[in-house]
Parts: sequence; structure tokens; C-alpha cells
Amino acid sequence: MKEPILKMLGISKSFSTVEVLHNVDFTLNIGEIHGLVGQNGAGKSTLMKILNGVEVKDSGNIIIFGKEEEYNNPIQAREKGISMIFQEFSLVSSLTVSQNIFLTRESHNFLRLLKDKESEKNTIKILKELDVENINPNEYVENLGTGPQQIVEIAKALSHEPKILIMDEPTASLSSHEIESLFIVINKLKKRGISIIFVSHYLREIFEICDRVTVLRDGNKVFEEKILNTNLKEVIAKMTGKEQDLQVSKRKRQIDRSKPPLLEINNLVVGDIVKGISFKVWHGEIFGIAGLLGSGRSEIINSIYGVYKKKKGEIIIDEKRTSINSPNDAIRAGIAIVPEDRREHGLILDFSIKDNILFSVIKKILSFIFINDKKASKITNDSINKLNIKASGFWQVVKFLSGGNQQKVVVAKSLVTDSKILLLDDPSIGIDIQAKSEIMNIINDFVESGNGVIFVSSEFDELVSFCDRILVLKKGEVDSIVDCGIEANMSEEILLEKIQ
Amino acid sequence: MKDSNLKSNRFKVSDYVVYISFFGIFALFSIILYDGGFLTGQNLLNITRQTAMISVMAIGTTFVLSAGEIDLSIGSIVALSALITAISLRMDLNIWIAVLAGLSTGAFIGFVNGIIITKLRVPSFLITLGMMTIVAGLARWITNLEAVPVINDTFNYIFGNGKVFGIPILLLWTVIFLVFGQIFLKKTSFGRSVLSTGGNKIASLFTGINVDKIKIAVFIISGVSASFAAILYTGRLEGARYTLGQADLLLVIAAVIIGGTRLSGGKGTCVGSVVGSLIMGMIANGLVLMNLNIALQMVFRGLIIIIAVSFSLRERKRL
Ligand SMILES: Nc1ncnc2c1ncn2[C@@H]1O[C@H](COP(=O)(O)OP(=O)(O)OP(=O)(O)O)[C@@H](O)[C@H]1O
Ligand SMILES: [Mg+2]
Repeated sequence: MKEPILKMLGISKSFSTVEVLHNVDFTLNIGEIHGLVGQNGAGKSTLMKILNGVEVKDSGNIIIFGKEEEYNNPIQAREKGISMIFQEFSLVSSLTVSQNIFLTRESHNFLRLLKDKESEKNTIKILKELDVENINPNEYVENLGTGPQQIVEIAKALSHEPKILIMDEPTASLSSHEIESLFIVINKLKKRGISIIFVSHYLREIFEICDRVTVLRDGNKVFEEKILNTNLKEVIAKMTGKEQDLQVSKRKRQIDRSKPPLLEINNLVVGDIVKGISFKVWHGEIFGIAGLLGSGRSEIINSIYGVYKKKKGEIIIDEKRTSINSPNDAIRAGIAIVPEDRREHGLILDFSIKDNILFSVIKKILSFIFINDKKASKITNDSINKLNIKASGFWQVVKFLSGGNQQKVVVAKSLVTDSKILLLDDPSIGIDIQAKSEIMNIINDFVESGNGVIFVSSEFDELVSFCDRILVLKKGEVDSIVDCGIEANMSEEILLEKIQ
Repeated sequence: MKDSNLKSNRFKVSDYVVYISFFGIFALFSIILYDGGFLTGQNLLNITRQTAMISVMAIGTTFVLSAGEIDLSIGSIVALSALITAISLRMDLNIWIAVLAGLSTGAFIGFVNGIIITKLRVPSFLITLGMMTIVAGLARWITNLEAVPVINDTFNYIFGNGKVFGIPILLLWTVIFLVFGQIFLKKTSFGRSVLSTGGNKIASLFTGINVDKIKIAVFIISGVSASFAAILYTGRLEGARYTLGQADLLLVIAAVIIGGTRLSGGKGTCVGSVVGSLIMGMIANGLVLMNLNIALQMVFRGLIIIIAVSFSLRERKRL
């Protein structure tokens, strides 16, 4: 056995009074893919940020290639061969793809003018290695969707030719096709001798691609094992600290489709992306929309919510034609949303959890024009408990929560409203499996009391295991609407085939 | 990085920079001007009187900055509203009608600012910069550069030189504005919507806040507070002139920033803004007492503002 490339010994870290890592050991062997898992707020990102020099450890040692190293910023970390792909992207959206990748390392000509052509060529080369053909190096990052942005982020990290590559939830917003090609790339990198730390909530991925796994729970390392010597159940038990079955079993539901539908969409046209879509959602139904990135699924959701302008189309709610031209109209019509991009659309990062949730229930907590802080705190505390949000209290500023806990706040915002239609755009991004199953249970209860849900996800197994019917969307048009009830013989594979 | 990451989020040194600066500068002048008359009750009351207008404008500006916008036209609004109030009084209109005329001027200009900014989606910096020039022009044109004296003693008493139980009335107006402003910003859903809009406009929109309405409202608030400052100027100086408010913009914005309101929006406090204004007032007062000539006063004032602002922004940036 060769000497490990990296040893982190006895790492501790506190944010002021709260210790989030306690004496954590972590080792990484040369050329291995090492999975790092744990529930939301367990400390995975913090540990990786310490390794990458973004955060400074309070105590402990970092040994790279057998040599103890001290550094406290990402540039020094990079010199030691460490690169990281962040959970929250770090791209400059007003620059192009290749400008981003080679930011601060552009080649110059003799007049110190930038040679953009060269960066472009190098970008193409890196993207080719990643088997990505649909990203133009001269495209501005702000024009790219989340998926392609993630790829650019990966390309940027690779351009530093790291020895150790940290990936913090790299697959969270990728389609299954993109995940497949990412895995091919990761395996290529592994063959090149690059060691990879892979953080993910998708345990299936961990078992598919990793050689070893380390589990963190509440800032403690509780488990480390070769992937071949363990199994899903054991890892989950280590993560949660209890033996339990987290499979959300599909519930059997009777949906009376002879009654008028809750929501009817007729001939919806949005820009030139959504080309005349019609469907109905009945009371008590979870209606899925499956499509690849760019198929128009987010556009459908956002135009129902009044964010995007509809070119054409009508929305009928409980047999009443409803005109929705702003989110305000949508909220008044009883619609709530979990938007795709939590940081941009869902949260005010500098606000506390309470202040983020407060506006969703503003009517309920207003005495005259004054905010009743007590009521707001109570509602917030209920949400924190119900969704198991890991925070020091309702006053904690959202930007200091872990990624998954931020997402839970977004979900909480939509659940506290008294709406009858819930639009979910990839609601479980970054959420750990236990929380996911809790949220799914809450949503199941929600529809069973006569409400409706439109559910968009890039995870097809999630769609299949959760929806009553699924609309298959192809290039902005309805390909088919498939029955997905408990009796229907739907599976992820069948859905995947349909979508291609 | 290490120790700057807050404790229970409730107590942050950076939130108290303004108070620390206040006492620091206060102590400094008290020592330097020990014999110069800084620390007399009369002088301290003077400071609060002189800064009343800045404080009132700072409260309005707190709302605008909190919403992530900026209003550069307040200085010109002061001049125009003051003249309109003074002219109304010269026409022997009722005091309250004159006051209403003055306040409507600011409200209207703020409304126009807000409408243009939200409907045309142009940055407020540019629109209010243009508006600043337009309104300044109007103020010159309306009386042809003439000053307008106010001989209505009741008006001058209520809005300028009066005292209630020995407390200067200008200080009382400041306190009234402050109490209303702070409650409005911190305790009502409107105030929370303002902060929310400044914190993240898109997320606020998704949450159902009518972002455009909020923005128009903060410009109206800003305009009205500038007009009220104009009325106080008119009362104190017993007349109006097109030059009123000319130098106030920088002072107001500096006061608000030092007070802890964030230039990019999402965070604001009226109390901080008023303390910031008092700092500005103390500096002006101290420099005068030091017998510096006007030119040197300007240089020092600018220097102190730069130091104070960078000090308060630096602290916050680390978070
Ligand atoms: N800058 C910060 N200030 C205060 N607390 C922080 C800060 N960063 C992280 N924390 C806290 O540290 C804990 C661990 O967070 P971390 O981001 O490492 O979790 P994680 O395991 O990556 O979770 P997730 O799966 O949700 O991404 C959380 O409880 C979080 O609230
Ligand atoms: Mg994380």
C-alpha cells in the first residue's frame, strides 16, 4: 500500500461559539475516488473548504505527500495541487466561458494585451476532454443554464491540473445524461492518477463510482470503509445514527378524474421554447414534468407562476379562467413555488430564516400594519422542526446555513403558504435522503387533502416514485402523458427511453 | 476570517461601529476643544439643531438605500420645496397649506423618479442625477435667483426657532421623524418589504412582493423627507433660497452609510443614520470652533468622511 496522498488529522473548526467539526480525520489515497457523505449540516463542505484554504482550521494537521502543509487561501492550496468545485458556483456571470476558465491566467502578447484566442483554444481542448460539445467558449456564462455552468466550473478546476480534485455535490443539477459523461470524465481523471473527493447526497452515485467512503455525522467522522465492504443500508445508518428505512413507498391514491380538474393549462406558449402545451392537474394529484435541460420545463413552471410572459395560453383554476401576470397574481390564485435557483430566486441570503419565511405568511402575522414577531417566530420554529433545518435558531442568517439547509428554507417558504397548487422545480437539490423523504411525506399529505402539485425534476427515479402522471416534454412540446400510478408499470428506464 | 464569523448573529461589533465612532469623535473634540466651547450645553444643543435637516433627509435616504436604490436629487428638492413653501407663505396662504405645498413638491418629484426608474428600468443613479439638475434649474428659475423671506412668525416658530420645555423644536422634529422612521422600517410589513427588495429583488418578486410599488414608495418617502428638511431650513433661516441643500447630498449619504445602512441594499437603520448625521454635525461644529478657514474646513470634512466611511464599510465587508 502506497503512502496516502493526503492526510487530514484531528481537524476542528468552530464558527465563533459553535463547533462544526470535532477532531476529524480524513485520508485520501493516490488515484482513488473517495466519497464523503453526511446529512445536511454535517460539516462536509466546511471540511472541504478547509482543505481548499477557503476556511482556516482551528486545529489539526494537513499532510500532503507526507509533508505537513500550512496554508490559508485557495491560491496556496492550488500550488499544493488542490482544486475545488464549489457547491455554490464561483463563476463570473458577465464573462465568457473561456474568460472564466482562464481568469487571471490569460496569456498575453508582448504588449501585455490579452490573447483571447489562445484561451479559447485551450478551453475547447479541456471541454473536449470532458466530451462536451454543446458549450461555446465565447458564450457568456449568464446565458448558460445551471447544467452547463456546472460543466464550466469543472473545466475551470481541471485547467489547473490538480493532483487532488474536490467536488462538492457536482451532480446536483445535472441531467442523467450529463452525470454519465461526468462519471466517464471522473474515471479518466482517476486513470491519470488524480485523486478525487466526491461529496454527494445521491448514495447510488457513491456506490457506483467511489472506491471508499467516509461518513460525517454532526461534525464527527463516524465511518470509513472500502465501498466493496459496505452497503447502502449501513451507510445510511451511519449517517443518521439510526437503523431505519428511508424508502418513500409510493402511496396508493384514488384520483377522481370525472370531477373538474384543479388546474387546466391550455395551449401555453412561452417565447419560442414552449410551443403550445396543454394539460390538466386534478385535485389530489402529483403531476410530473420530465424533460431534458432546455426542454422548456422550467419555463412552463415560471410562466404559470407569472414570472415569464406567456405569449399565448390560458390558465383555468377550479373552472375559473385566471389571468396571472405576476407572482403576486399567482399567489392570490393560490399557487406557491419552490424555484429552481435557491440563491437567486428563493432566498434573501442576508436575512434570517424567519425573515425569509415571513413574507409567505404575511397576512397571517400582521396586526394592522405591524408584523407580529411572536407569531412569525412560532411559524418559523414549526418549519425548522418539521423540516429538520439545522440552525442555531430562527434568527440565523441564511447565508451561514449549509447548502441543503438553505434549500430546506426555500421549501419551508412554499409549504407555510395556504396554497392549493404547489409548483416544485427540482425541490430536493442538495437535500439529504432523510430530509428528502420527510419532504416527500409532507407533500404526499398535501395532495391527499385535495391539493395539486406540479413536480419538475432532473432525477427520473424521483419522478417515477412520486408522481401520479408524468408529462414527457420534448423540445417544448408534449410527447406523451404517461400514467405512473401504483398499478402502472412505469420505471425510470422506460421514462429515460421516452425522453431521449 | 477566523473570528469575524458571528456569534449568535445578534451581536456584531460591526453593527456598533457608528456608536463607537460617535463617542470617539465626541471624546476627541471634547479634549482638543476643551477650552474652545465644544462641551457646553448650548453648543451641544446647537449641534442637534444644525443637523436636524441632515437627520431628516438621512431617514428618508435610509429607506432608499435599504431598497437598493439611491436618490441624488434630494439636495435640489430641498431648494425647490423651500422656495415653494416660502412663496406660498408670501401669498398669505394658511401655514399648513404652505407646508402641504412644500411636501407635495417632494412627493411629486419622488413619484416621478420612482415611475421612471421602475417602468423604464433605468438605474436610479442616472435618473436621479438628471432629476437633480432639472429640479435645481427649476429652483433657480422660479424666483429668478431671488431669496424669499418668510415673515410669518408662527411658521418660523413651529419649524425653526421654537422651543418646547426648553428643547429646541428642531430636535423634537428629528426625534418624531426618527421614531416613525425606525418603527416603519423595522416593524411593519412595508419596511420589511423594503429591506427584502434591497436584499434580493428577484427572490422578493417570487415571494409576492410588489417590487415596483416598493421602489416608487421609497422615492416618495425620500422626496417628502427632503421637503420636510426644506421646511425646517425655511423656518430656521426665516426664508428660502435656491442654494439651500446644495451641499447636503454628500453629508446625508455619508451619514447613512456610517450609520450602518448598506449601500447595496438589504440592511438599514434609521437610528444609525441619525447618529451618523450627528457625527457629521459634530465634525462641522468642531471644525468651526477650531477657527479653521472655510477652505481647510472643507478639506478636513472630506478627509474625515472618507476615513469614517471606509472604517464602517471595511468592518462589514469581512462578514
Ligand atoms: N460561515 C459560517 N458561519 C456560521 N456557521 C456556518 C458557516 N458555514 C457553515 N456553518 C455551519 O456549519 C455547519 C456545517 O456546514 P456545512 O456547509 O459544512 O454542511 P454540509 O455537510 O456541507 O451540509 P450540506 O449537505 O447541506 O451541504 C452548518 O450547521 C452550518 O450552519
Ligand atoms: Mg455542503
